[in-house]
Amino acid sequence: MVVEYISQALVNLADPFVLLLMIGGIFLGILMGSIPGMTATMTIAVLLSFTFTMEPSQGMILLLGIYGGAVYAGSIPAILIRTPGTPSAAATIFDGYPLSQKGEAGRAIRVSTIASFVGGVISVFALMFFSPVIADAALRFRSPEFFALAFFGLTIIASVSGDSLTKGMVSGLLGMLVATVGIDPVTGFHRFTFDIPELLTGVEFIAVMIGLFGIAEGLRKYSQGINSGNDRVDQEISGVFPSLSDLRSIAPVSVGSGVLGSFIGAIPGAGGDIAAFITYNEATRWLKDSIPSFGEGNVRGVAAAESGNNASTGGALIPTLTLGIPGDSVSAILIGALLVHDVNPGPGLYQEEPVLLYTIFVGFLLIYVFILIFGLLGANYWARLINIPKSHIWPVILVLCVIGAIALRGNVFDAWIMLGAGVLGYAMRLRGYPLAPMVLGLILAPIAEENLRRSLVLSGGSPSIFLTSPIALVIILLGLGAIALPAVRSIRA
Amino acid sequence: MFITNDCLVSYHEAEKIMVIQKVGAVLDRIGLESVRSSPLSVLFILFSVVVIFFASQFPSGDGVGPSFFPIAVSVGIIFFAAIDVLTGSDTELEMSEFDFGPAAVVAAFLVGYVLLMPALGFLVSTMLFMPVVLYYSDIRSKLLVVALSIGFPVALFYIFGRIFLVRLPEGIIPVSRLLPQLPLVVTF
Repeated sequence: MVVEYISQALVNLADPFVLLLMIGGIFLGILMGSIPGMTATMTIAVLLSFTFTMEPSQGMILLLGIYGGAVYAGSIPAILIRTPGTPSAAATIFDGYPLSQKGEAGRAIRVSTIASFVGGVISVFALMFFSPVIADAALRFRSPEFFALAFFGLTIIASVSGDSLTKGMVSGLLGMLVATVGIDPVTGFHRFTFDIPELLTGVEFIAVMIGLFGIAEGLRKYSQGINSGNDRVDQEISGVFPSLSDLRSIAPVSVGSGVLGSFIGAIPGAGGDIAAFITYNEATRWLKDSIPSFGEGNVRGVAAAESGNNASTGGALIPTLTLGIPGDSVSAILIGALLVHDVNPGPGLYQEEPVLLYTIFVGFLLIYVFILIFGLLGANYWARLINIPKSHIWPVILVLCVIGAIALRGNVFDAWIMLGAGVLGYAMRLRGYPLAPMVLGLILAPIAEENLRRSLVLSGGSPSIFLTSPIALVIILLGLGAIALPAVRSIRA
Repeated sequence: MFITNDCLVSYHEAEKIMVIQKVGAVLDRIGLESVRSSPLSVLFILFSVVVIFFASQFPSGDGVGPSFFPIAVSVGIIFFAAIDVLTGSDTELEMSEFDFGPAAVVAAFLVGYVLLMPALGFLVSTMLFMPVVLYYSDIRSKLLVVALSIGFPVALFYIFGRIFLVRLPEGIIPVSRLLPQLPLVVTF
């Protein structure tokens, strides 16, 4: 069976158009990832509308190419100008920038490329291996378990994203509230639609995401000064392959970080930034006596962080595809992309769309092979991308945000939703509210509400149904723990 | 020694005063200063109250009706936002680095752009929006402004409209139809 699906996936991927999308996606991802302030999440949200007329597998390949490319390329400005291209490259600075100061930026980038490849590939294998097992177990899940999962997803993301638990919760709950607009799925009652026909089907959540990650970030950039922080990179990067001794020294740490990063990525809410910090920290703990020591330009530090953050990409897809619970904000958008095509991520996906899933797995693997090739061959060119002034890029992105929102349904109304979300997101970011929980809330609210109400119908209105299902109970307790732990810690402090 | 009634009363009163003082202290903390330091949290609380008001008018269904979830979520927002206001955790901000002016100007440009879109269509409104924003972003090279303002919308038009077949607003006068079809037939 699996062999059959894989061969079918290979046939899908051998299509020149698909390969073109894949390579185009990787280039776009590397471009945006190399430019500080342009994140993988933003690029994917803004370009999502291009995928609507494609086959689901084609769209996913494009978006995953961007995802992998951006997470990889985030390390380049982290190494060269001490500014992470994407948040997940923040830990790469610790050893990457000192290497660059010694004039060894090329060496750091080559190590980062190899480690990104190793981490990415390990995570895709983890995805291939664990998804069927989890999906199979989740097939037995009924409404109480799904409600518990949605609850868990929301609490854990609120507790891991940003500094403030309360702000994370408010952000997530606001997202859930927005998701209740439209026709009530159970009774057909029109909730908060105010007789606006466009609101009957609910607020278009992709429009909200484009606003939150595109416009809000753009407005933030303009308030900081559009041309502030334009750094120039003049360091010449020569050579293609890392030295054998470097390879030997980073091999164990890359593999270890890849495995650990995949698991962290699979926790809903914990994305590449958290994965990289943890894998870097573990590397410093395990390899205490490294020379030079960590923080002073040790290639193993670069490898640990980069393998860790790229490993989180495949890991994040595990709960996304098997449970419909996004692993990070990028995978939340990927869920949106699949829903547009009437593909419902969740345990049933293995039975309904096995070929699509294997196309995603094999395609993601291939994406990392291309990233390895492009990363090694093009390092010198990618480094130059940092020199592109922000003032040239933001106007283009603002247009793409507006067009992307309108293209969702061919409706200007969604552009207004998008702008509203953008202004709200800007205000929230200035006030220290994390935006990722809001996106999760948007995705999780329908799952949470539908399953909550269905559970209560099953139990005749008694909430004890959540206590009698051991799985649901454990998941809900884990969710409560996710809020309680940081709260207790902050009270103690 | 025995406690007189007077003493008991005064003991109760002392307790009362203490409670009042405590409430006063809390109120002081929630006072204007907190509102000023957490304006968004206060706004979210007010918003949730409005949501609860509207949702409470929804018809009740069997068991948990359509109003339950919005009300429960709103109560959650009020709870967490109130903690935020009370603890004043909004205070540490990087506000000083930010200048709201440019963000407001760009937001206004965007509003104008979307307002013009239905009448002028995607192509013309983008050609008007681009030079304004590019100029505002301190780009003074005329060649670059012209190239981006004309080339980019036209490229987008072909990519969206011709390759990916996504419909974009044409406007009252469909200027975009004057553009030639793609010379190559792109079929995948």
